[in-house]
Amino acid sequence: MASNLISELTTHFNVRHLYPSTAWLQSFTATVRPNTPLPALKQTALFRLLATDITTSLSQPANTVFPRDILNGNSQSRFVAGPLVCQVLDIEDIGDSKWAQVESIEAKERGETKKGREVIRVVPGDENATVPPISESAGPFKLLLQDSKGLKVYALDLNGVRGLNVTMSMGTKLLLRDCDVRRGVIMLEPGHVQILGGKIEALDKVWRERRKERLVAAANAGREGDAGH
Amino acid sequence: MVRILCVAEKPSIAKAVANHLAGQAARAENTRIQWVKNYKFDYNFQRWGQSSVTFTCVAGHIQQQDFHDRYRKWMSCNPADLFDAPILTSIAEDKKGIASNIESQARNAQILFIWTDCDREGEHIGTEIRDIALKVNPRLEVCRARFSNIERAHIIQAARTPIPLDEAQAQAVAARIELDLRLGAAFTRMQTLALQQMIPQQAEQKKIISYGSCQFPTLGFVVDRYLRVRNFVPEPFWNIKVVHEKDGINVRFSWRRVHLFDRMAVIIIYERCLIAKTAKVITMQKKPTKKWKPLPLTTVELQKMGSLFLRMSSQEVMTTAEALYTKGWISYPRTETDQFDKGMDLRKLVEKQQQANNWGGFAQMLMNGGFNQPRNGRNNDKAHPPIHPVNYVAPTALNDSEKRVYEFVVRRFLACCSEDAVGEATDIEINYGGEIFSAHGLTVIARNYLDVYPYDRWESSQNLPQYTVGEVFEPKEATMHDGKTSAPGYLTEPELIALMDANGIGTDATMAEHIAKIKEREYVIARPKGGAALADGGNGAGRGGARGRGRGRGGGRGGRGGAAAQNGGGAAGGVQEFIPTTLGVALIEGYDNVGFETSLSKPFLRKEMELQMKAICEGRSSRNDVVQQNLEQYRAVFNRTTQQINVLKAVGSTDPKLVLRRLLILLCVYRPSGSTLSGRIKPEYFTRGAQRSAVETP
Repeated sequence: MASNLISELTTHFNVRHLYPSTAWLQSFTATVRPNTPLPALKQTALFRLLATDITTSLSQPANTVFPRDILNGNSQSRFVAGPLVCQVLDIEDIGDSKWAQVESIEAKERGETKKGREVIRVVPGDENATVPPISESAGPFKLLLQDSKGLKVYALDLNGVRGLNVTMSMGTKLLLRDCDVRRGVIMLEPGHVQILGGKIEALDKVWRERRKERLVAAANAGREGDAGH
Repeated sequence: MVRILCVAEKPSIAKAVANHLAGQAARAENTRIQWVKNYKFDYNFQRWGQSSVTFTCVAGHIQQQDFHDRYRKWMSCNPADLFDAPILTSIAEDKKGIASNIESQARNAQILFIWTDCDREGEHIGTEIRDIALKVNPRLEVCRARFSNIERAHIIQAARTPIPLDEAQAQAVAARIELDLRLGAAFTRMQTLALQQMIPQQAEQKKIISYGSCQFPTLGFVVDRYLRVRNFVPEPFWNIKVVHEKDGINVRFSWRRVHLFDRMAVIIIYERCLIAKTAKVITMQKKPTKKWKPLPLTTVELQKMGSLFLRMSSQEVMTTAEALYTKGWISYPRTETDQFDKGMDLRKLVEKQQQANNWGGFAQMLMNGGFNQPRNGRNNDKAHPPIHPVNYVAPTALNDSEKRVYEFVVRRFLACCSEDAVGEATDIEINYGGEIFSAHGLTVIARNYLDVYPYDRWESSQNLPQYTVGEVFEPKEATMHDGKTSAPGYLTEPELIALMDANGIGTDATMAEHIAKIKEREYVIARPKGGAALADGGNGAGRGGARGRGRGRGGGRGGRGGAAAQNGGGAAGGVQEFIPTTLGVALIEGYDNVGFETSLSKPFLRKEMELQMKAICEGRSSRNDVVQQNLEQYRAVFNRTTQQINVLKAVGSTDPKLVLRRLLILLCVYRPSGSTLSGRIKPEYFTRGAQRSAVETP
């Protein structure tokens, strides 16, 4: 039964280019109740898998992880077909100054937002109030991605891939296809990025809590030069 | 003959209106007060027939509100009592002569015809006059005149069609007066007493630290900006510029992303451009464009423009405009209306300007077929038309500041009656290495209104060569540059007015007074901004197009009547910018840090009050409801603040060092430091302190 289930799940994952490790599959199947219907199980499994750190839960075949020499800065441009499975460790809005981002975070902390010049008070819980949705910056964004082998690579989202922005969860899993990699940086293009979803709870929590602090520090560090590298 | 008593809001209006109605200089009788005259003449009113008229005036509000003796002394009661202490309304000491003049004139009159200014405050003054008169002569018939300038035909029209006093507007003012008195007194006393005890007094000054529900949000805006400037951290950015030479013209293309804050990203993009070698034209568009003529002039706009272009503070502009109105040269300068009534004969007003040296020619051109109906804005206070010239006056008859304000009002009006400026815009966009770069050009074809309105700027740019979509070329230059973000400037007067306007703090008429007040209290200092402001602000401010003016308007008006208070400062260098004093910063941070849901320094509370004022005017709410509701809200803030102060006092008996620290925290003396994190003091300091002291003190 268990091995049958494991093979069912493996197929379910593999068509999504996900290759969970045997250890993870076994620990998952150990927790499930025997009479749960299979479709529900598949869903639960996918949900749980996307909530893990892929460096421990996946053991991907070589063509679905970053090429080992991807960081080579001498390479002007190279094509990587993928599909590559990775998770987002960090995202930075590079279209707005860090200080401007700090200011807008602080305004939100004070419960204020602005409509044109008018200062508006955002009352928490008052959903039907006429508060305009806080428009998130359109970027562009610089992301830090990691594959299941633990290799970390920067990526740029210059053309607005839907779903990539500073409100996304850290640990979100992405599937990349047919990428241009320039000077060791992956260029993310609409149509070539599939957002699988998920997050890494612990990472996301710390990232969110300390975002302002990081921005302040980075803004100050920026005085000495390039903060990005 | 019917005996009619007319009462205006101030002497100059009484005189001007009396002379218009009398058709000559009316006979003036002296009263016990030197500057109040009773003008006597006969007039044939449409409603009452041939009548014997006495035209007199008051000087702003006659009545005053104050607490009962028992509460009036500073130490006589707990400031919290002032929230519900009884209020006495009486004739102000210095207005007794005026009141008795009205009484004696009302005794043998049959009709009381009120000529106070047509706004909320004027409505309230009208009810004061009525109450005084009815007391001695209960059979009086009471009505008021509706007018918005002192031009003869307009006055005669107003005399023909009297209307009733608007009780609702008067009630709104009454609510405002009561709230200002109670809140002002309670917070001022609490604040001053607390701070005086705590700050080591600099011997000479026992300063009153006043509170005003408009003053504080006004100060809040100044402090907010100041902190932003202070905390600002410059950051490097990078960008790419592209130049292409065609037909001997160097065309500069700018990057659609403007700049990015990541060097690595820009380098990669830049490299991609260079590898691409050629750029491709994706848009080539020439289209007619317009610069819209300005909207009819409102008070707020006049104040903003005044400080931008006339080198005067908003208050000076208002005082000057008031003088021009009183002399009959311009219409009533307190208005939020930016649309002219269709029925108004604007051509006639334009005609009067034909004799002017500077703009007479332009006025003639308008008369000879160039006239166009002004654009309509979205605001109409239903009381006054936009500010416009009523009559022509030779500049030699005006003093220097009057000359400038009058010229601005006239030019603005003529611009409104003219045509939009017309031009042709050229937009070229290229795709270069996947990135979009663009060049924009403008050719002005007809300046139209700009000829009479030098306050707006719109000039042709360099000519752009012809490109065709799909054309591929190799740029002459593609370069990568870097730069740094720069701190915003301190808040300027026009910006402050715009913020107050958008947030419903004060009315267009009182904003200038609130600004003057925070200067006078030494919460802020004003200084001229570095010269460049003039040219820069011009374009944006002049557009006047779709500016959101969603707001709550209210009646808060301070001193009225004789009090044409002058501020000492003056604005020698044009635009003023404001910097808060240590005291100003301490006050705002103090209130913010006490951690109120809605701090006094934030505009929300006041804005609600202004909205409620409007509700009274429209009959949707009552004076009593509004007063009670507001008192409740402010009382909560008041209690919290006093609690915090008491916590400090309690701790004071244990450890002097701790007290000192707590004091600094309460006063929120701003500690300069690079980051906003350590720069501000957290409200938690308080709660922690409060808990501990509750345990420690027996």
